[in-house]
Amino acid sequence: MRGIQLSFNKTQKLRLDKALEQLEYFSSKLNSNAIVTVSDTIPVNHEDGVLKGHGTMELEGEVVATLCGVVERVNKLVYVRPFRARYKPEIGDIIVGRVIEVAPKRWRLEINFSQDAVLMLSSMNLPDGIQRRRTAVDELNMRTIFEEYDVICAEVRGFQHDGCLHLQARSQKYGKLERGQLLTISPYLVKRQKQHFHHIDQYGIDLILGCNGFIWVGEHVEVKDDMIEDQTNKSEQQNNKLSGLASHQNQEHNYTPLELRQYICRAANAVRVLSTLGFMITVDKIMDAVEMSTSKNLNIHEMLGAEFYVLVAEREAERRSSSSKKR
Amino acid sequence: MGSVKRKAEEDTNESRPPEKLHKEYCLLGGEEQVACVHDVSYPHGYNYPSSDSNVSRQDLKPAKEFPFKLDPFQAEAIQCLDTGESVMVSAHTSAGKTVVALYAIAMSLRNKQRVIYTSPIKALSNQKFREFKEEFSDVGLMTGDVTIEPNASCLVMTTEIWRSMQYKGSEVTREVAWIIFDEVHYMRDRERGVVWEESIVMAPKNARFVFLSATVPNAKEFADWVAKVHRQPCHIVYTDYRPTPLQHYLFPAGGKGLYLVVDEKGKFREDSFQKALNALVPASEGDRKRENGKFQKGWVVGKTGEDSDIFKMVKMIIQRQYDPVICFSFSKRECEFLAMQMARMDLNNDDEKVNTETIFWSAMDMLSDDDKKLPQVSNMLPLLKRGIGVHHSGLLPILKEVIEILFQEGLIKCLFATETFSIGLNMPAKTVVFTNVRKFDGDKFRWLSSGEYIQMSGRAGRRGIDERGICILMVDEKLEPSTAKLMVKGSADSLNSAFHLSYNMLLNQLRCEDGDPENLLRNSFYQFQADRAIPDLEKQAKVLEEERDSIRIEEEESLEDYYSLLEQYKSLKKDIHDIIFTPKYCLPFLKPGRLVAIQCTKDDQDAPSFSINDEVTWGVILNFERVKGGSGDDGNIKPEDANYTVDILTRCTVWKDEVGKKTIKIVRLKDPGEPAVISIPISQIDSLSVVCLVIPKDLLPVEARQNTLKKVSEVLSRYSKEGMPPLLDPEDDMKIQSSSYKKAVRRTEALENLFEKHDIAKSPLIEQKLMVLHKKKELTAKIKTIKRTMRTSTALAFKDELKSRRRVLRRLGYITRDNVVELKGKVACEISSADELTLTELMFSGVFKDTKVEEMVSLLSCFVWQEKLQDAQKPREELDLLFTQLQDTARRVAKVQLECKVQIDVENFVSSFRPDIMEAVYAWAKGSKFYEIMEITQVFEGSLIRAIRRLEEVLQQLIQAAKSIGETELEAKFEDAVTMIKRDIVFAASLYL
Repeated sequence: MRGIQLSFNKTQKLRLDKALEQLEYFSSKLNSNAIVTVSDTIPVNHEDGVLKGHGTMELEGEVVATLCGVVERVNKLVYVRPFRARYKPEIGDIIVGRVIEVAPKRWRLEINFSQDAVLMLSSMNLPDGIQRRRTAVDELNMRTIFEEYDVICAEVRGFQHDGCLHLQARSQKYGKLERGQLLTISPYLVKRQKQHFHHIDQYGIDLILGCNGFIWVGEHVEVKDDMIEDQTNKSEQQNNKLSGLASHQNQEHNYTPLELRQYICRAANAVRVLSTLGFMITVDKIMDAVEMSTSKNLNIHEMLGAEFYVLVAEREAERRSSSSKKR
Repeated sequence: MGSVKRKAEEDTNESRPPEKLHKEYCLLGGEEQVACVHDVSYPHGYNYPSSDSNVSRQDLKPAKEFPFKLDPFQAEAIQCLDTGESVMVSAHTSAGKTVVALYAIAMSLRNKQRVIYTSPIKALSNQKFREFKEEFSDVGLMTGDVTIEPNASCLVMTTEIWRSMQYKGSEVTREVAWIIFDEVHYMRDRERGVVWEESIVMAPKNARFVFLSATVPNAKEFADWVAKVHRQPCHIVYTDYRPTPLQHYLFPAGGKGLYLVVDEKGKFREDSFQKALNALVPASEGDRKRENGKFQKGWVVGKTGEDSDIFKMVKMIIQRQYDPVICFSFSKRECEFLAMQMARMDLNNDDEKVNTETIFWSAMDMLSDDDKKLPQVSNMLPLLKRGIGVHHSGLLPILKEVIEILFQEGLIKCLFATETFSIGLNMPAKTVVFTNVRKFDGDKFRWLSSGEYIQMSGRAGRRGIDERGICILMVDEKLEPSTAKLMVKGSADSLNSAFHLSYNMLLNQLRCEDGDPENLLRNSFYQFQADRAIPDLEKQAKVLEEERDSIRIEEEESLEDYYSLLEQYKSLKKDIHDIIFTPKYCLPFLKPGRLVAIQCTKDDQDAPSFSINDEVTWGVILNFERVKGGSGDDGNIKPEDANYTVDILTRCTVWKDEVGKKTIKIVRLKDPGEPAVISIPISQIDSLSVVCLVIPKDLLPVEARQNTLKKVSEVLSRYSKEGMPPLLDPEDDMKIQSSSYKKAVRRTEALENLFEKHDIAKSPLIEQKLMVLHKKKELTAKIKTIKRTMRTSTALAFKDELKSRRRVLRRLGYITRDNVVELKGKVACEISSADELTLTELMFSGVFKDTKVEEMVSLLSCFVWQEKLQDAQKPREELDLLFTQLQDTARRVAKVQLECKVQIDVENFVSSFRPDIMEAVYAWAKGSKFYEIMEITQVFEGSLIRAIRRLEEVLQQLIQAAKSIGETELEAKFEDAVTMIKRDIVFAASLYL
């Protein structure tokens, strides 16, 4: 809880400590794995044969940790899952990143990994939706798709032969993120899940929990259904042109209603609070915190106040104790 | 359903004239009729494009012009391509489907779009690559073995590669405008067919397709599916047209000549067909027995001193100048054997011999000197020089290719080939001979299907050279005219889904954020076909229901009452019978000589009988013996539990059917028939009498048996007053004291009383009435089963299996409870060329880490070798030890699957890993020469090479897997393994590249 730099009053401090103590009690029960620091020997049975995974190496006949973290074992494989490290990409991860450079045929993205990620022009669906080879004109027009400092959401495709980390945008839902906030938290707080895209219907916002610890909270964008053929889109566009609605719609698009902006901020603040307290980030927890703030009639800025931190911590402690009781 | 609608003709919104949508071309060019059918499938709720876009497209110049006049079906298909819509072309192999593919490629290249061409076979990909490369130059190739110019605009690849590219999200998927699936009817392949379905379902939504397929009757259904899944119109162009018409002949075994059974107009000639069958020299009894075990050999054995049939046949073909000829047979060994019989024949002149030799050696030039000395290589040349070739998958790939080239050059006049030769590149002959009409399909011998016949006969007749192609069927067994007619004249096999789940597929789907295996299932052709069958089933059920309701019976209620009584009575009787005839009770009484009543064989097995008494006859027990169980551990079974058969002398009629199978029917003593000894299971005995006869010791002579039966008749007539001889009393004589027996007897007595009192029992037509009622009951049962199938098909197909497979993955720690793919799952994702679960488990148990590289390679060979060798020697101890480890792992994996309710036979699964080539691969990894390892094993050269190539594929996948878990040493080890096995003749480049 090093990150918390707030002035608590006495009762708040007491309550927070109590809640955290309670949480620690539950977590220590769950986590009995060996914790290692760099150069610690990891006890293994050499006769059985060991597979040394990430974060380990063999030194003078012993398996030694090269990272500070938790030792994980899968059958004979031993590896170290690091604490608070930078993001380590895996194929298929959903990530949020920021464009830092537009290079020939590719964008370079900062994604909190030890190197920059690459998104090839060819790994993107073209705006016109036509399947074709990329031309020099497309290359010149790359900035119309993304330019520097744009926030993008993409999927990890894998390491190419040159050792670069490549990203891809498989469908329409990937791409530029606009009208929202980007939050950066420690990647270990985001657990890999089946779903990383979330649409919160009641508030009309989108939440994207990037595996790299970049969290996007923004206005909901309707993704065109994969299955709906472009033909229908085309005819729609034609209709729009005919009626002159397009410009009107665009105007509407440039404006985000105040209420929506408030919700975005609330969700963002909820993420801030949760991550500072060191809780895993899930949609349920975020929504829970948002609801709590509205039910307690707290202003958005008050969510970052000491009282709210304590409330969130208490709530989490309560939740875990009830869930452990159920077991 | 009705999600796919054919555009209604009266629809006024449509852009094109209605008659264009479904039309048949009948152009009478010269004397032959060229017809093709064009049809379109539109997705549900499809907006038809406005007509002006159509016009602008037509202004464009054709992407490619051909130097010859296109056939109607080609022109029709190309027109579809020009409007930018998908098309399925279904035509015979020789009809010229490639033209459509070429046009699609030319069009994509013109539009600066990528185009992918996939084919089911690597060799075919190589050939197509060469063909396209000459035409377009901007062409690349990707197969498991080679990758050439992966950035080219036109990519030729195997369907498996295309699937994995889609899973990996290769950039090609965003640039490809047209995807050409050649030989798409491969989709019905039991093992690999699912790859086509996956590839088609996952294909990018804006891509368009060209499907090239052999003739399939349900092309429309396929197109409907594509239209539904991809929400785009899909055209069907279907033609039965053959550029050269075919004549079909029969050649009866041992006969002298050919009989024309189907002429070039497609007419079946019944009379000459009968003549052909009559000419079949019937194999004598003795021959039958000798051949019984191995039907296949019938051809090759021939009569000693005489020419074998195949030799006569080829001689005749050459004399009549019907060459070149392809002789299809269904096994590699038979192929070679037949070729060996041609030893005395020489079909090439001296010039051709020189040519053959030059071509042969220039191709073999790339081999090392040692490899040139391989027996297969050196034995082949003399044969080839005489104009005779062999083509099957057991050949060295390079030899296969040389033979293909020689055949195309016309230097091979007579080629003995397996079925594989019938797909792929255009390699026609004038004549095609089927050396057999039965084929082994993995489980049993079966008749050739008409679809297979069509595919293979498609090789007959060279376009522009021959006036007609000739197809000769060699028949050696009496085949029913109907079977033969079906084979020769039948329709093509329909395209049915062979969809099945695999763990690799599941994991790959789960790994993608929006990938959902259920989605794939929902969009599969399998589901589509199941959905489509529902209206049909409904109709069936309705018809049956109507039929049932039309049956009216008077006094139905009381009849039904009687019917159920009868049923009860019968089942009770059966219970009693079963108790009496348990071996425990009846064995002591099965004395030789005892007179027993046995059930007569019914004429019609299905006809139920409604009289209270079954028809019985009498016979004499001679002997009984225990049936040997299949399991072999007979020692453990108590004598009471074993099965017994009883030999009984009685009157029978005996006759033989065409196949020579004896059918014996038990008849009444008074009926005509011969006295015979039959063995029947105990349960078939109706009752035991107290009478015992003295029987003569030797019953072999007919008279002795006749006399015995006479005695039986005498005994019976003596008791004729009582109706039958006194029976053994179950309680007093046989000492049956069980309570269940007593209870059953009491209840039958009660029932018998009821029967007598029942008023309907006196009705005169009781038998017929009961018959009708029975029929009604049967109909009700049928309707029930149909309704049940309907219920299962409305549910998602494979839903249960998907559930249990997910359970397996969770149990083994591949995915979490929320279906997130874990580390182990990520490893298994990479492995698609071998059993992913077993291999992953093996990897995580550290087996690969401990072993030497050669041993590891040898162990991996078990994953890629599927053929069964009869007399393969066991591998050496250290390899065998590894193999045992593999078996243990496999067994564990299989058991987990079984526990999770996946249908699997554990031992079958375990024994699907074959250690047969471990030694050979070990030696190969050690650096032995190829001829050296060929001495170790008895497998075909080509099969071994294919296995090692596939092994390399697996190793490449393992390298990726090791990378993903961060185990660098293992990764290096796999890489070493690759360099050790990837050398010399095994990885010699294809001649087509």
